[in-house]
Amino acid sequence: MLASSYSYCSDIVYGSTNNAASTGYQWVMTNVLPQQAGLEVTGVVYRYTTVKNTEDPMLVTVQNKNALSTGYIFRSTDDWSGLPSNTLNKFVPTSSIPIEYWGNGEIAIEGQGEVKDANIIYNYQYDPCFDPQSNPECPRYINTDFTIATTVIEYIEEDPNKPITYKDDEQEEADSKKRSKEKKKERLEVALQVVSVALMTAEAVAQAEALLSMNAQIVNYELNNIPGGTYLEDASYLSAQLPDNNSGARNGLAQQILHNEMVESQYKSEK
Amino acid sequence: MKKLVALLALCSMNAVAEGVPIYGTIESKCVITTDTVGVYGNPTPNKLSTTAADGGVEAIIRYDVINANYYKARITYPNSFSTSPSLTDVVNWTGSVSVGEVGDAAMSAYDTNKVEYNNVYETDLSIAGSTWFKVSSTATYGYDKSFPSGNYSAVVEAECVAL
Repeated sequence: MLASSYSYCSDIVYGSTNNAASTGYQWVMTNVLPQQAGLEVTGVVYRYTTVKNTEDPMLVTVQNKNALSTGYIFRSTDDWSGLPSNTLNKFVPTSSIPIEYWGNGEIAIEGQGEVKDANIIYNYQYDPCFDPQSNPECPRYINTDFTIATTVIEYIEEDPNKPITYKDDEQEEADSKKRSKEKKKERLEVALQVVSVALMTAEAVAQAEALLSMNAQIVNYELNNIPGGTYLEDASYLSAQLPDNNSGARNGLAQQILHNEMVESQYKSEK
Repeated sequence: MKKLVALLALCSMNAVAEGVPIYGTIESKCVITTDTVGVYGNPTPNKLSTTAADGGVEAIIRYDVINANYYKARITYPNSFSTSPSLTDVVNWTGSVSVGEVGDAAMSAYDTNKVEYNNVYETDLSIAGSTWFKVSSTATYGYDKSFPSGNYSAVVEAECVAL
């Protein structure tokens, strides 16, 4: 019942279903269309033969319910009223309707007459990289597999100020075992610390990449150009003849007269 | 006044006339396609028939018209062999043309509206789309006379006639 044929053209996969009405005149679309993310139905090809008297009224409708709402997402009705029996071959294009809209389909008959040898085929297309994580060869695939490289750092801590002492063999052997245990303990602690850091780093990287993949299709609005330019100076004063300020002249003249009187007054007193 | 005259003379010297052609090509908006090649069955020695009951295959011709009411289909079923062994007696021909399948239910009326004369079937293609016509042909030889052995072929002629 699933996809019968495929053809590849660039990245888009085109195909058509088998006869949806092979088992009856009602069918479940999840059994007809391949359950592929991003699949769109581009057209319906149907063919059936009517058996009727020419004078009888008869309407034959091929239709699919709208799975996301009420009503139908596809409906094609042929009016056979007053027409003789015949075989109808029809292709009805659909404007790339996504798979999630396609509800159950049926051939409905109104009036008198029968339909036989029905053949309903859906043409579809889909982008195999609609979900880029579905295939490593997809252009926007983000590799989240990585190997945690762990390095156990081995070091010997020696105190250079420690005085040199001479011990007998038994004491030396006991001290050696003790140092060996301490070294093992220190190595284990270092190893665990490195692993812990590596795991934390890996988790942070995975979170960052997941966040990046979610935002991969968001347009970077920061790169938008703001139209600008230069505002040229266009204000200017027109040359004109400014009249003398009479009140200012009077004021200045009065000051001058007063000043002259003050200067002259000294000579008057000397006289 | 003299200056004006001189200016007009200059203008008339610069005027150039040129004929610019406009080309166009018309392709027929009616397309005829052989959907199924007919095959003669030979149920009896004196009979060649395309009907399924006689072991033959009817020829199917598809007419595609983009616009309605611009063409009519004219289909002529055979009344002679195009190739055959040498025949010394009369061949009796019968045949028929009918709408086999339709792209629109209303095309079923083509058979009702047909005009038939001699071995010719005509009907107006009044609905845009595809129509499949099936053509049957039967030939009998003489009066219960056996056809000579050999290869036989006949031709169905299908035409789009502009209205």
